[in-house]
Amino acid sequence: MTTVTSAPSADRLLPAPRTRAHTAFQAVRRQPLLPVLVVMVLVFQSTTGSFLDAGNLRGIATDAAAVAIVAVPLALLVISGYLDLSVGSTLALGGLVAGWLAGEQHQSPVVAVLGALAAGAVVGAVNGVLCCYLGLSAFIVTLGMLTAVRGFAQQLFPLPLSGFGSGFAWLGGARVAGIDAPVVIAALVLVAGALFLALTPAGRHVFAIGVNREAAYLSGIGVRRAPFALFVVTGVAAALAGAIKASVLDSVVAGTSGAGFELTVLTAVLLGGVALTGGSGSVLGVLLGVLFLGCLQNGLTLLSVPTFWQQMAQGTALVAGAALAFFGPRLNR
Amino acid sequence: MNRFPSPPPSSRRQFLGLSGGTVAAALLGAAGCSAPGGGASSAQAAGASGTGAKTLTKIGLDYPFTQIPLYSALVKLSTAAGKKRGVSLVTTNDAASADAQAGNLRTWVAQKIPAIVSFPMVFEATESIAKAATDAGLIWVTYGGSLEHQSADIQFNFLKGGTLLGEAAAQWAQEQLGGKGKIAFLTDDTIQLGRERTKGMIDAFTKAAPGVDVVAREQAIDPDTGLSKARAVLAKHPDLNLVLGVTDAAAYGAYKALQQTGRATTDAKTFVGGQDGAAPSLLAIKQGTFYRASAALAPQDIADAVVDVPLAVAAGKANPSVQVPITLVGPGDTARIDVLLAQNA
Repeated sequence: MTTVTSAPSADRLLPAPRTRAHTAFQAVRRQPLLPVLVVMVLVFQSTTGSFLDAGNLRGIATDAAAVAIVAVPLALLVISGYLDLSVGSTLALGGLVAGWLAGEQHQSPVVAVLGALAAGAVVGAVNGVLCCYLGLSAFIVTLGMLTAVRGFAQQLFPLPLSGFGSGFAWLGGARVAGIDAPVVIAALVLVAGALFLALTPAGRHVFAIGVNREAAYLSGIGVRRAPFALFVVTGVAAALAGAIKASVLDSVVAGTSGAGFELTVLTAVLLGGVALTGGSGSVLGVLLGVLFLGCLQNGLTLLSVPTFWQQMAQGTALVAGAALAFFGPRLNR
Repeated sequence: MNRFPSPPPSSRRQFLGLSGGTVAAALLGAAGCSAPGGGASSAQAAGASGTGAKTLTKIGLDYPFTQIPLYSALVKLSTAAGKKRGVSLVTTNDAASADAQAGNLRTWVAQKIPAIVSFPMVFEATESIAKAATDAGLIWVTYGGSLEHQSADIQFNFLKGGTLLGEAAAQWAQEQLGGKGKIAFLTDDTIQLGRERTKGMIDAFTKAAPGVDVVAREQAIDPDTGLSKARAVLAKHPDLNLVLGVTDAAAYGAYKALQQTGRATTDAKTFVGGQDGAAPSLLAIKQGTFYRASAALAPQDIADAVVDVPLAVAAGKANPSVQVPITLVGPGDTARIDVLLAQNA
């Protein structure tokens, strides 16, 4: 059996450089944050000399893992036209439940994590019922849940929990094939999210619901079921991130754990090009948004930038990133 | 035919009706629970402003930072301390917001809560409320500072707490590192308390151990931030010897970061210390790890002051203000650590 290959022709070879440039331009147009991230990394490496060290990259990846785990399902939720602002408090609740089960109740790490996931699922389900089935505003419902869940967590666990045991420490501290467990989990979540969006009918339905719910409904798409499921998954992911953070720190405090986390995650999602109005976005963009935030924070610390200058730099970079995400897709129109 | 996108109107009405009914019932219940014997009778018991001794039956504790663990311990211990002295305790929910705090305090003044202990988030903004309270004959105790219009205050020497930690770390560096090494400070420049602690800690350390290089000074008050900041510092300075935190929470994050780089928990060349006397840090000190010190406040001391100072004012005692002590605990202070842990339990 012979393989027949056509000889390269001048027509196929000559346009190649232009085609490659066009392809690269299209990639940049689709992900305008990518070149910004590359430039930022190069600047940080040249100024600090240690930004690209393995140890530092490991630290960035581990810090970013929790954000990525929540950002992916949250991005899907935003694409479908909803929003969840309660993830910071859900993260705290998940960490507390896991820590309590592992530490005070001496349960196995698996039971502890499952308990956390169940708590996150309950919060997500409440959000989902109120928003998807009763038609209440997701912004208001999840903002209310942000406060209510935090209060509930503080009522249940008013004092810090710590000392969760070596078994539970595996979740945050173990390495799988040389990679930290939280990073492996985040990678799995990212891959699952990308495959879901790209390859499954349900993924296409998420976009359809975000673009036009009524049209999606008339097309026979379950316009309540899919966002409800995404609310539950987002709650579960936030609780998982909480369990990971509790494991990494071997402690968790109801009042402060995950405080402001919802804004960090939402910022990463929006920087990654997910439209707050729903209907568009990608998991790759979310990954870039997460990495952008992680690298910026780490680089400014490495440069010993004073606190308030760091705040200014972070805010300015976020506005610039948002502008880029807005204008980037319009570059070649 | 078009049953979507809105849910059926009847079910939404039912839900709203049920919700409204539940909320109304809860409000009526709450009102019913709190109405009798509330501020009015207490205010009467406290009596009008005058020179003689008053009987105080109610104290309002306005502590805005409800998110920190100390809050729960403080409320629990203050309630118990008040109960022993025949005083009931009421609290606010300020949610770390100066605006919410001002609103809650004005409500209390209008309600004539006979004694208010308040930790002002913005001292200047609270002055007028304190004046209104004292003008109305109420007892006003300022927590964590002083106001012009007040009956007394509960003070903390946060500068001294930072100084104690800085001096202890410097002494350790001189003895264990020969006065050489690298230190990172986790600081807070956003509120007065943090600035005082930070200044005490850095000034005392750099004065007593000038040979140790200060390689970082990063804002961090919680474990997550302490962890990520310490990770970044360790990437640049893997041979970091000391980390001092403005809070135990931030320092505990750094402690975990150092462990994650492979440093043994008993490493002889590492020192981590913080301030507050938080339970996880106290446990780490007790276990003999390189988390070696905490400038600790005893919640019971604060709780006693919250009750005793207003009572002393009501009794007409001269100069009733108190200074709550801050003490440094280290590996040798296991008995003291056990006492602090019990108070935090």
